[in-house]
Amino acid sequence: MRQQYAVRSLIIVVGLALVGLAVVVQMVRIQSSEQALIFLSQGDRYAGEFQMYYPERGEIYDRNGHLLAGNRTVYEVGVTLSEVENADSMAYILSTYLGLTYEDVHNKLTASPEDWEYVVVQDYVGVETVESLQQLIRQLNDAEDPRLNGLGFKPHLQRSYPENALASNVLGFVTRDGRGYFGIEEKYNDLLAGNPVQIWVPRDPNKATEIPRVPNGTTLVLTLNRDLQAQVESILDDALVDYGAQNGAIIVMDPRDGEILAMASTPRMNLNNYGNYFSLYDNGSQYNRSIGTAYEPGSVIKVLTMAAALDTGTVRPDTTFIDTGSIEVGGITVQNWNRESWGQQNMIGCLQHSLNVCLAWVATQMGTQTFYGYMERFGLGHPTGIDLSGEAMGRLKVPGDSDWYSVDLGTNAFGQGVSVTPLQMMMAVSAITNDGKMVTPHVLYSMLRDGHQYNVPSQYAGSPISAQTAHTLNEMLALSLEQESSQALLPGYRLAGKTGTAQIPTDYGYDPWHTNVSFIGWGPVDDPQFMVYVWLQQPSTSIWSSETAAPVFSEVAEQTVILLNIPPDIVRSQAATK
Amino acid sequence: MQATQIIHAYKQAPWRVQRQWIGAFLLFVIGAAMIAALYLDVTARTSVAGREIQELRSQITTIQRENADLETQLADLTSTAVMRQRALELGYRPVQPGELDYVAVPGFVPPEPAILLAAEDTTPHVQTQPAEFTQSLLEWFDERLKLGGPR
Repeated sequence: MRQQYAVRSLIIVVGLALVGLAVVVQMVRIQSSEQALIFLSQGDRYAGEFQMYYPERGEIYDRNGHLLAGNRTVYEVGVTLSEVENADSMAYILSTYLGLTYEDVHNKLTASPEDWEYVVVQDYVGVETVESLQQLIRQLNDAEDPRLNGLGFKPHLQRSYPENALASNVLGFVTRDGRGYFGIEEKYNDLLAGNPVQIWVPRDPNKATEIPRVPNGTTLVLTLNRDLQAQVESILDDALVDYGAQNGAIIVMDPRDGEILAMASTPRMNLNNYGNYFSLYDNGSQYNRSIGTAYEPGSVIKVLTMAAALDTGTVRPDTTFIDTGSIEVGGITVQNWNRESWGQQNMIGCLQHSLNVCLAWVATQMGTQTFYGYMERFGLGHPTGIDLSGEAMGRLKVPGDSDWYSVDLGTNAFGQGVSVTPLQMMMAVSAITNDGKMVTPHVLYSMLRDGHQYNVPSQYAGSPISAQTAHTLNEMLALSLEQESSQALLPGYRLAGKTGTAQIPTDYGYDPWHTNVSFIGWGPVDDPQFMVYVWLQQPSTSIWSSETAAPVFSEVAEQTVILLNIPPDIVRSQAATK
Repeated sequence: MQATQIIHAYKQAPWRVQRQWIGAFLLFVIGAAMIAALYLDVTARTSVAGREIQELRSQITTIQRENADLETQLADLTSTAVMRQRALELGYRPVQPGELDYVAVPGFVPPEPAILLAAEDTTPHVQTQPAEFTQSLLEWFDERLKLGGPR
């Protein structure tokens, strides 16, 4: 009996062992079969997915924390094709809501390649449209209507400019591919955009911690003052209308550290509709005329000529010059702006009446090498190095250049035959307001990244003249403005400055009918806190700077002292004596 | 002598050897089951924690996006053009230079914009995880010993 049980037990054990062995063999067979490799690869495919992480583009603020460029949520509207139950209805609904043609949507839903699981119907769809569609989906779901089955929305961020066209010339814009064009957006594109990273995102929750964190782009704080920028743009726009000018540019800079407080240029573009670019601009140099367009500035350059002459000791403020109305330089006769003689003048009078003959004489007294040496040191013909993209260099012909002639010494001295950008002039003249030291203009105030703040230090761009020369010329230009009873003056504030009326060079010589008018000025004279450059192209009401650019300067100066809280001179002097 | 033989026979009794084997086998099975249960428990907890991390990360992304969106919406509502229009509608007008009164406040320093103040406040800490998550067992023992035993 016991033997019988033993045999039966043995049979059962062997049977179970065989079953177990068969299971193991089958497992091994399945694991090593060709199909297994397919299943394994499918498993790997569904174990996760590669995702491209685009960090949130850094924001741009003005110096007072007002957002100039931010990000807004938009949606990618797409369809999971396998879930679509009624392509006709879905195509009709989506074409209605998204403003597409029925055929386009229907083609995407029905004629996409067979291995496509998902198709994007439209990207960058606004919140309002998506909310309407989501509401419709809810209603259909409640009614168990499958017409929008498979429709999905993927949110992401898109660049947005709350101020629309404000400071558009400085900011630049970002296209849908995430690349910045012009201004800050182009110059600091790499910083703002951050580094897009392609990441393998596992679906296995045990591997959740392996997903790396993608840091956002760097946030930038600019030196711009939003309110001043708005005022300056408004003044510029009004000036174009009032004086019938074609275009213009105005810059407000802090001459102590080169911070750009406002920079306006025309035309401006609503940055949220950057597609208008090609209808507004013929070429990139027009996008920001303050830095991108070089022109012959005319008499504002006399400030630099006089600075060089004072610094070398060629003249003093009381040096007299008998103006006969013309002077011959390099065999060519140079005349005054009104072709008249002004008799005996001192150097303040020469600046006050903007006498070409006097300044040409001053340049000849200095000599060619000295004059051009100073102009080089003032940075003419070189970019200022401002942190904006698209800066032009201008042109300073120097002896030795194939197109330089002896007469250029005389004409360059009063701003003819030399081209500069408005910003180059500001940088050069900043030496006069800043104890002889030129500042490098800049727009970036600070960078914010991962909670850390990195301030941008001010930089000096050399000392072309001595502090003594700077103080002397500062006073001369203030006196010349006062004695001229200029329309640039601002009651309560002592200002200094210089007009510039320049003929426009063409292929056939200078245009006899049109001018470019400019004005550079600053204040308060005893402690310059702002410097303003005004440039109007071809004003039609008057060709003279004193009647067009000068009053515009006064308006800008008025708004600047209000918005920067600069008290009148008498208040400041009273506060200083307390 | 007889007692020794009895004990020896007892120890070598087949049923006793079988029981020892069965005991050892059961011990192994129970041990394996405990380890398996522990493994399952830890794996399940890890999975739940991993899923929570995934969800939290997703929430962070969503909240960051919403923050950016709201900030832009706020900027829209407080843009220069909108504020100017609202001010005019409320009867305000731009100030003229002669209408301003200046008061000298010794030592007054204009406040920095909020965006810059926020940056200084949010300087990240180098170590934010508790020591329990980073300490090895030996380090823990060492720390306890230095502190004078368990507390």
